Amino acid sequence: MSYEGGDVMSIEELAKKIDFDYVHIRYNVVVEGPAIKPEDDPDVKKILPTEEPFRSIALAVLKADLKGVEEKVKEALKKIDPVKVIENGLGKGMDAVSALYAKALYFLPDVMLSADAMMAGVKLCEEKLGKATKKKGTVVSFVAEGDPHDIGKNLVVMFLRANGYEVIDLGRDVPNKEVIEAIKKHKPIMVTGTALMTTTMTAFPAIAEMMKKEGISVPVFGCGGGAVKRDFVESYDFSVYGVKAHHAPKLADAALAGKTWKELRYEYPKVVGEFVAEYADRMG
Amino acid sequence: MVLRRYTKLAYKDPDEILFGHAKFPVQEHFGIVFGAGFVVPEVKVAPAPGTEKDKESLVREMASIAEQAASRAVDIGLPAFMLEQEHVFQQTYYPDWAYDCTHAQLEVLEKYYKEYGVRIALRQTVADIRVEEKGGLRGSEYDNRIAETIERCCEAGASDIAAETMGGKSVIDYGVMRGDIKALLFGEYLAHIDMEYFWTRAVNICRKYDTRPAGDTHCSGANTAMFVAGGLMGKDMSHTGAALVRAMSAARSLVAVECGATGPLKDCGYENTIIKFITGVPIAQEGKDAVCAHSDIMGNLVCQAVDVWSNESVFHREEMGGPTPAVWLQATGYEAALMNTAIQAGYAKVLRDLYALTDMYRDPQALILAYPNAFRIAKAIVEYGKDPYLRSRAAALEAAKIIKEAYEAKRIALTRFELDSLNKFVSILESLPMEADKFVDECLREYKGKIPTFDPKSYEL
Repeated sequence: MSYEGGDVMSIEELAKKIDFDYVHIRYNVVVEGPAIKPEDDPDVKKILPTEEPFRSIALAVLKADLKGVEEKVKEALKKIDPVKVIENGLGKGMDAVSALYAKALYFLPDVMLSADAMMAGVKLCEEKLGKATKKKGTVVSFVAEGDPHDIGKNLVVMFLRANGYEVIDLGRDVPNKEVIEAIKKHKPIMVTGTALMTTTMTAFPAIAEMMKKEGISVPVFGCGGGAVKRDFVESYDFSVYGVKAHHAPKLADAALAGKTWKELRYEYPKVVGEFVAEYADRMG
Repeated sequence: MVLRRYTKLAYKDPDEILFGHAKFPVQEHFGIVFGAGFVVPEVKVAPAPGTEKDKESLVREMASIAEQAASRAVDIGLPAFMLEQEHVFQQTYYPDWAYDCTHAQLEVLEKYYKEYGVRIALRQTVADIRVEEKGGLRGSEYDNRIAETIERCCEAGASDIAAETMGGKSVIDYGVMRGDIKALLFGEYLAHIDMEYFWTRAVNICRKYDTRPAGDTHCSGANTAMFVAGGLMGKDMSHTGAALVRAMSAARSLVAVECGATGPLKDCGYENTIIKFITGVPIAQEGKDAVCAHSDIMGNLVCQAVDVWSNESVFHREEMGGPTPAVWLQATGYEAALMNTAIQAGYAKVLRDLYALTDMYRDPQALILAYPNAFRIAKAIVEYGKDPYLRSRAAALEAAKIIKEAYEAKRIALTRFELDSLNKFVSILESLPMEADKFVDECLREYKGKIPTFDPKSYEL
């Protein structure tokens, strides 16, 4: 390989001249700690139950072992109340997963696969109960009309369900009036709306306006997605700008505890319990 | 229509590839040629929220975007530029809106072309508004409206038509969220089927007019994976996985050219260097000037082979330096000027290599796109060029090999998460059947019930 009009040097030879530490540093590698078993993490140790069979069930969730969860739950249900299996086993496993995700020791695929395993266990418990277990509250989730991009909404739904919420998933490209009808019907503690595009996110203020006209409200209308920014979301009522999908259950918990959308706007970093660059001015 | 499957590369040697030069340049009206020895800057700006409320308001907005871009082009002395308009939902859903918006922009651009001689192209990127669970990808109301809108844009005088089709999205999203490489490969295969349907029709429409069928990029695959993977400290998708998705996306986006698309290929998925090696058509790319929309960890590298250098969609609003169409055209215009200066001075390949080396070892996603490696992936694709499944699988495996080699040579450092997921992906990919039919049957059994928005009928499966 040679340059026209320049010194003859290939890209490989040119690369040898460069000290890449002056060009870029892979900080993810720099800060990576030693490998440990997930159950040995100090925060996980505090969360995991010590009593069997709850510990084995929680560990199976932690390790995203779907078949293991099903086997252990089936066995446990022969003599233990399904609600206890959920609360003391499956739920604790998922709490441990959340703790590792928050510390960046687990990654989204770990969370998703653990959630799949946990939900399989919950399904068995509900079959035994003969009804759905009592959920913390109901949330309505949708993607704005005209917008087919739903990966963000799907993540929000997964995080909420894994944290014990009933989610009415309206899907993508949802007309505003369908959202209003769902709010009237389900009386959710929170509504989440996502949009990727600048011109579909305008559905959010339109929905907020429709809520006012209809005389209905929701404690929190969480809005997020690609083009959606805080200044836009805070330009209409009921709304809180949601930055990351995994913040959704924390916002729902806060709504359940009586926090209003106005309070959540100003207490967002505190509520989600982490540094959030988009709310850096409200970290104090 | 019989597709032209590529079983050979357009370039014999990776060193042949260069920004501003394509084997098969493309001419469009208003005196512009792409890939003929210079780089053309591009700008794209999304209409301000609320302007989509009625047709008149959106048409005014479109004209204003064109006017602001063209006047800045003249103010800073750009010899040429492309204005791309990525449609909002309403613009594609209402074909008469598409016609009026295109016409309004064309009128402005023609005025500048006639008055100053600035060479201009107008790209209309239709929105893929189809939703699998709402009538499917084929023959639904949304689908029919897209076809009509393409036709109306051509009638109104668009220089070229591009798209970011969404085939395979529901399965790809599932794969991205779970780090499931088999689902990702299946999603790419589905995308391939949909691309053939979409682009056969789009090419036939464009050929009736003086409008080029430009191409498609895998926004809902490669770009989604990159977006979810995020920065170095991101914890949502491994960057090695995102790199493999990008390699597979090249095998998928190639289909537009196989159907007759001419380029400049649409930017967004960053897969175009690979496709340029295969087809020789000019390509649009984005990188450092896409920071207005996303962070990509390879701002410079993708300049290496670009023919149309673009920003990514940005709000239409005022910055301190002026309205965004002007500001971002100025940014892409100056970058193109650097490349064109290097071409004229005879130092283009030096600049190409510097662009590549700034990012090559920053991240696995950049590494596989560095042109010597993109060449290897292109070769892997054409080796199985006639088989959409095997060529995607080969692209992913070659990308994995490139990353492993660089890691073992201590050129790039990887985290345990990145390395473990890479090893897992390779082992799964290697264990898959060599026959597409078997693979599809397996995947239908595995994913059909798990992904509620996946409709096999949309792919005639």
